[in-house]
Amino acid sequence: MKKKENYAIKVCNVTKVFKLYYDKPNTLKERIVFWKKNKTEVHKVLDNINLEIDKGETVALIGTNGSGKSTLLKLMTKIIYPTEGEIKIDGKLTSLLELGAGFHPDFTGRENIYFNASIFGLTASEIDKRVTQIIEFSELGDFIDSPVRTYSSGMYMRLAFSVAINVDAEILLIDEILAVGDQHFQEKCFNKLQELKDSGKTIVIVSHSLESVKKLCNRAIWINKGKKEMDGKSNHVIEKYLEVCS
Amino acid sequence: MKELINNLYSYRQLLKSNVKKEIRGKYKGSFLGVLWSFVNPLLTTLVYAIVFPFILKNTEPNYITFVVIGVLPWTYFTTVIMQGTTTILINAGIIKKVYFPREILPISINTSGLINFFISCLIIFIFLICSGIGFSWYIIFLPLIIGTQYILQQGIIFITSAINVYIRDAEYIITFIINMLFYATPILYSAKMFENSSISWLISLNPMATIINCYRDVLFYQSMPHIKSLLVVLLGSCILLYIGLKIFKRLEKGFAEEL
Repeated sequence: MKKKENYAIKVCNVTKVFKLYYDKPNTLKERIVFWKKNKTEVHKVLDNINLEIDKGETVALIGTNGSGKSTLLKLMTKIIYPTEGEIKIDGKLTSLLELGAGFHPDFTGRENIYFNASIFGLTASEIDKRVTQIIEFSELGDFIDSPVRTYSSGMYMRLAFSVAINVDAEILLIDEILAVGDQHFQEKCFNKLQELKDSGKTIVIVSHSLESVKKLCNRAIWINKGKKEMDGKSNHVIEKYLEVCS
Repeated sequence: MKELINNLYSYRQLLKSNVKKEIRGKYKGSFLGVLWSFVNPLLTTLVYAIVFPFILKNTEPNYITFVVIGVLPWTYFTTVIMQGTTTILINAGIIKKVYFPREILPISINTSGLINFFISCLIIFIFLICSGIGFSWYIIFLPLIIGTQYILQQGIIFITSAINVYIRDAEYIITFIINMLFYATPILYSAKMFENSSISWLISLNPMATIINCYRDVLFYQSMPHIKSLLVVLLGSCILLYIGLKIFKRLEKGFAEEL
């Protein structure tokens, strides 16, 4: 514990530009024939963002649709890379961008737990330790040994969320998934997040359900058209945000 | 490089379950299941063994065993190259949603193919026993040959899988090249047929020809494999693997956006 810096995520001067093709050249023929003719439009999603999120903080990213929140999360998980700037991460990071990524429909729930957890970088023995906990949390009961394709979408989501939330990462990135399952399960997820927060994990949430954000997070960052509009206490930021939006 | 190995080590469980998924998931739901990966090349062999003695004037004695030793490594090669080329595209779903070392995907294709090939070797052994050829101590070279093939394939699919994301034609071009290469590789015929001909140098350029020749030497003719050419291929494969990894690393940053 000799580290001087205490950041979990550090975003330095990050700019992300997407090239929008009107007609994306995917084949060799198109690349050659439409060489240089292709109309592209450069779309700056994030413009020179600077952020520092300390360890143990619970931060919400808010903003209107298309403001670049999800892109920022994707950059943090290293799914995509910034056009300019740099992102530093300190600690094991898990992202819940979309639930059930990589579930194989023919495998049973239990097998998929192993597969899905291994995508998050867990070893077999680590998964063994957690598997009962995961099954319990998902409330799937005997269905856990049936193929995932027989699940209802709610069951599917519950299983996926249970795996992801029990991975035990130091940093959690969550994109709009507080709306999983029924009322009962949502509350359970919320309580679990609260519990993770209390145990000192760093959590970054993208959400539109401002009420839960207010309860869960102490800090909120408002992103507007790719720029950091406001950063501060969640109550304060959300108030301002609602004022502008309505 | 060190970072890559560390990264792969910490994600070893993913590699393991991915390999398992490749082997089991592919045939799940079919009646014969995993057996298909052996029945298929066997049936192909059978067709060749029936048809080709009519076309070629003088085939080797024990022609069916001769063909099996060529066909099974070749099947390993083609399945890995074809599946490997499309693996990034097929897994677009998880690539766009989760971070994990992307190298895992092509590596697990090659490794699941390797495991299938190990079982295929048993089939070769059965043919060797049934035809009365048996075994010799030259079989100790087998791991070296298999290893060379593994490294060669890994190098190739690192490149093709990454390029196929950007240029989707790659898949079809490679199918064509592989079909052509099938005739340029001594699978149905013996490389000895061209020993004194002017195109023998052409065959020696084909790394798979050298590899299949070595399998034949060790298993069928029970003689010393041409160690020098094998080592040249091994060295070339290692260089290809290094270049392939560089290309893959470079192109992987754009995967999630291109898919």
